[in-house]
Amino acid sequence: MRVAREHFHNLKELPKTEQLEPGSPLCAGCGGLSALRLVHQVLGENVVWVNAAGCMTLLATFPYTPMHASWLYTTMGSAAAGAQGVRDALDILIESGRLPAEENLHVVVLAGDGSTLDMGLSATSAAIHRQLDFWYLCYDNEAYGNTGFQLSAASPLGSLTATTHHGATQRKKDIFEIWRAHRPPYVATLSAHDPLDLAEKIARGKELHGPKLLLSLAVCPTGWGFDPALGDEIAKLAIETGVWPLKEAKDGVVRHTYRPSRFRPVEDYLRPQRRFRHLFAPQRNEELLSRLQQQVDAYWRDAT
Amino acid sequence: MIRVRLHGRGGHGVKTAGRIVGSAAFHAGFHGQDAPVYGAERRGAAVASYAWIDRGPIRERGVIARPDLIVIADETLLADPASGVLAGAETATALFVNTDRVEALALPDSLRSRVIAADLTSRTLAALGRAAALSASLGAAAVRLLGAVPLDALLQAIRDELTAIGVAPTELGKNEQLARDVFALLQPLAFADTGKSLSLAAQSAPAASERTGGSMAQVGYEGVMRGTPSILSGGNSAARHTGAWRVQRPVIDPALCSRCGLCFVQCPDGVVSLDAEGYPVIDYDHCKGCLLCQRVCPVGAIHEERETRAW
Ligand SMILES: Cc1ncc(C[n+]2csc(CCOP(=O)(O)OP(=O)(O)O)c2C)c(N)n1
Ligand code: SF4
Ligand code: SF4
Ligand code: SF4
Repeated sequence: MRVAREHFHNLKELPKTEQLEPGSPLCAGCGGLSALRLVHQVLGENVVWVNAAGCMTLLATFPYTPMHASWLYTTMGSAAAGAQGVRDALDILIESGRLPAEENLHVVVLAGDGSTLDMGLSATSAAIHRQLDFWYLCYDNEAYGNTGFQLSAASPLGSLTATTHHGATQRKKDIFEIWRAHRPPYVATLSAHDPLDLAEKIARGKELHGPKLLLSLAVCPTGWGFDPALGDEIAKLAIETGVWPLKEAKDGVVRHTYRPSRFRPVEDYLRPQRRFRHLFAPQRNEELLSRLQQQVDAYWRDAT
Repeated sequence: MIRVRLHGRGGHGVKTAGRIVGSAAFHAGFHGQDAPVYGAERRGAAVASYAWIDRGPIRERGVIARPDLIVIADETLLADPASGVLAGAETATALFVNTDRVEALALPDSLRSRVIAADLTSRTLAALGRAAALSASLGAAAVRLLGAVPLDALLQAIRDELTAIGVAPTELGKNEQLARDVFALLQPLAFADTGKSLSLAAQSAPAASERTGGSMAQVGYEGVMRGTPSILSGGNSAARHTGAWRVQRPVIDPALCSRCGLCFVQCPDGVVSLDAEGYPVIDYDHCKGCLLCQRVCPVGAIHEERETRAW
């Protein structure tokens, strides 16, 4: 079941203009790049990206960039602070007549889950609290990807990372709820598997002033351990098993934009990924597998 | 000392191949060192690793600028100057290239006589079912050419190193057999072992200054536009042809295509465009060969072919 969309009804209505040139050094089949490409197509060309160190930093490493839009590189902890500086500068230039209002830009943080859930959280909290007019695109590959896939607060329970050889022992931190608790105008989850849902959410966010989070699952063939050809199928399984809910919260009110009519077992999503292989072989870890299923079941029981 | 430099693309197993060379030397009673080159390497991007072998302790570290043996996992790297595969090749004893068409290689004539070629990709595909899992066959080729390291040391190194990266026990036997075949296929280079040092026989001893690196560059103060790595030419990444990353090439059959546009929407790199009639066109200069488009095509209009040329 999906909610009605006002702006985008079929693939033909999606923007055709590429905002990113090819030739990036990111892995073949990178799900973070898929999300970024689609988001940029819908946001359009008038963007300043404020990037926190991570995989996407490789896009614009001297002397090459795929971007026609502007790009500012910051440390992992300070992308939201960078966005404040850029937003304030634009506002001052426009107010003082030094920049025509039509040349205003979307200020968009581009950060991985390590920055977003761990290191950059306090600067982000401050920017949301200030009601800064900016976007925050987090591509969630569920670990510190760029440095070799170490555990982050987004790594799911049981997943192998470079620093958890027996699987992560904590639950994934709920950054959607952390943002929502600040009551920003808009918070949404996205997936490149559902480009119409993704585009619709950006169109909705464009009508709102203030901090806006776009939290996209970023399937990562390198870190998760699957054939890059399977990227879209893994992304689809994340949605159809209920592991990655598609939802939004406008002024704090949550609405799921898609609810699978029949949920696939969570195992179907876990099994094709090397980071979960130890849950199935040499013997099945029934206890953890059922705990992972129960967490998803409990989430959807309460979902609005 | 013998210095080996291995080149490939992320995913080929060049780092593990370097480890196999170092470990095999160690098992054979030599001193061995190996190290991968760390950078922003990604699956498909050019990567390298090094191995040093000698009779005595090896204190050399860092870049191997003048290798004795260069091992090239993917011939398309020869057409990519940025990968540096031929750096220092003038003084190398031999260059091993994994290829099935040695005549067509983009090589200067001065190097051609020192090229040793074999098609490891087909052998690996036949033995393991995956063309890119080259660590055992590349390691075997390098070790065989060194001459001084026997087969059993190679096989022990393959077992150790593949186990360490999580290769299933059932796959080890296949990798060992593959290594045996490659070992039997190639002729060793002549080497000189004095009991104190090991070298390839044809090796000319370079002047000491060439081994110790150059002088330090002096960096002065620059203003912000010169002193920071600012990129002023937007969208210039297109100059970098990631098409050379492909092992397999997606090919669209317009007769089967329903023009649904899914491949255009889903290609992570945005290298599928739609022509005036709505048919998808792949930019082969940049397509990385992830083959995601093939899997999303609802009507099976995209098939794959083995990539054989550089883009
Ligand atoms: C304060 C700080 N610590 C460590 C690093 C090194 N570093 C660069 S990228 C990176 C990983 C970032 O992970 P994440 O934010 O999840 O993004 P991803 O790499 O997965 O895209 C790290 C640890 C850094 N740049 N700054
Ligand atoms: S490691 Fe994962 S997120 Fe990073 S570039 Fe590769 S596929 Fe993308
Ligand atoms: S294989 Fe297909 S999806 Fe992958 S980069 Fe090439 S065109 Fe794009
Ligand atoms: S996905 Fe298949 S059918 Fe659809 S446009 Fe691409 S090639 Fe044609």
